[in-house]
Amino acid sequence: MPFDALSDVSDEALLVLYANGDPAAARTLTLRLTPRVLGYAARILGDRAEAEDMAQEAMLRLWRIAPEWRQGEAKVTTWLYRIVTNLCTDRLRARKRRSATPLDDAPEVADDSAGVEASLIAADRMTALENALAQLPDRQRQAVVLRHIEGLTNPDIAAVMDIGIEAVESLTARGKRSLTALLSGRRAELGYEDEA
Amino acid sequence: MNPQDLDDLFATARATGADASPALLARVLDDALAHQPQLRAIGAVSQARPGLWAMLTAALGGGMSLAGLGTATMAGLWIGFVQPASLTNLSDVIWQETAMDSVELIPSFEEFLAEG
Repeated sequence: MPFDALSDVSDEALLVLYANGDPAAARTLTLRLTPRVLGYAARILGDRAEAEDMAQEAMLRLWRIAPEWRQGEAKVTTWLYRIVTNLCTDRLRARKRRSATPLDDAPEVADDSAGVEASLIAADRMTALENALAQLPDRQRQAVVLRHIEGLTNPDIAAVMDIGIEAVESLTARGKRSLTALLSGRRAELGYEDEA
Repeated sequence: MNPQDLDDLFATARATGADASPALLARVLDDALAHQPQLRAIGAVSQARPGLWAMLTAALGGGMSLAGLGTATMAGLWIGFVQPASLTNLSDVIWQETAMDSVELIPSFEEFLAEG
């Protein structure tokens, strides 16, 4: 099957094709899902190298479960986000165990402080957002990223995080309030005053 | 920073996305191909064929029939070897005075030729 022919095929159908031995499905799924998984892991962990490990591990678990995948039971992306969430949660806990104080994360914070004094253009807004996200509690960060950046619905987030929909709404609302507070002092630096 | 500014930031983040490095994509694809099941032939029979014993048992009507058949076989063998006295007497009565006559149902080929 030509590679282009698979671009409109759903993730679930591609996974079935993969399980049936279609190598083109393996390529399409890799190119389609790896960036999403990586982006989510990077925003949760704040560390690109660790995020790449998590993304590879999550995709590996997808390949392994493919022969047993039952269509209609879950969306592939929701399943992947759940795996990444669990992997990242374990990694964050391990990180906290290694250091009672979050000194491992200090370079991120230091860069943030330096960034405040630097000129902040559009790319810097992303850095500011990521640094602010990094300061949120883990569960709030996961919920906010899944809702507002990855674009998942609240029921999907509830399935990913294994919590109720009300808890999702609470986490995202508190997360947004915290982000607004964290970034409020930097409105001018981020160039929003000129646009207002 | 107001809620609208934050939504703008989220929108920019959504549009930006993460670029997976070619090295990472290559590693993921290597994993995919290494763990991919082999291509299945269309229409291939997935079930293993039953063995000879299973086929024989099924043909004879299952385990109960096989048990009955086995019992009858063993009983026949036993009767054949032991030859109970009652059976021997019975066969003697039947065959004692009877001469075995041969009846030619089909004339021999030579006679047929001789008679034309």
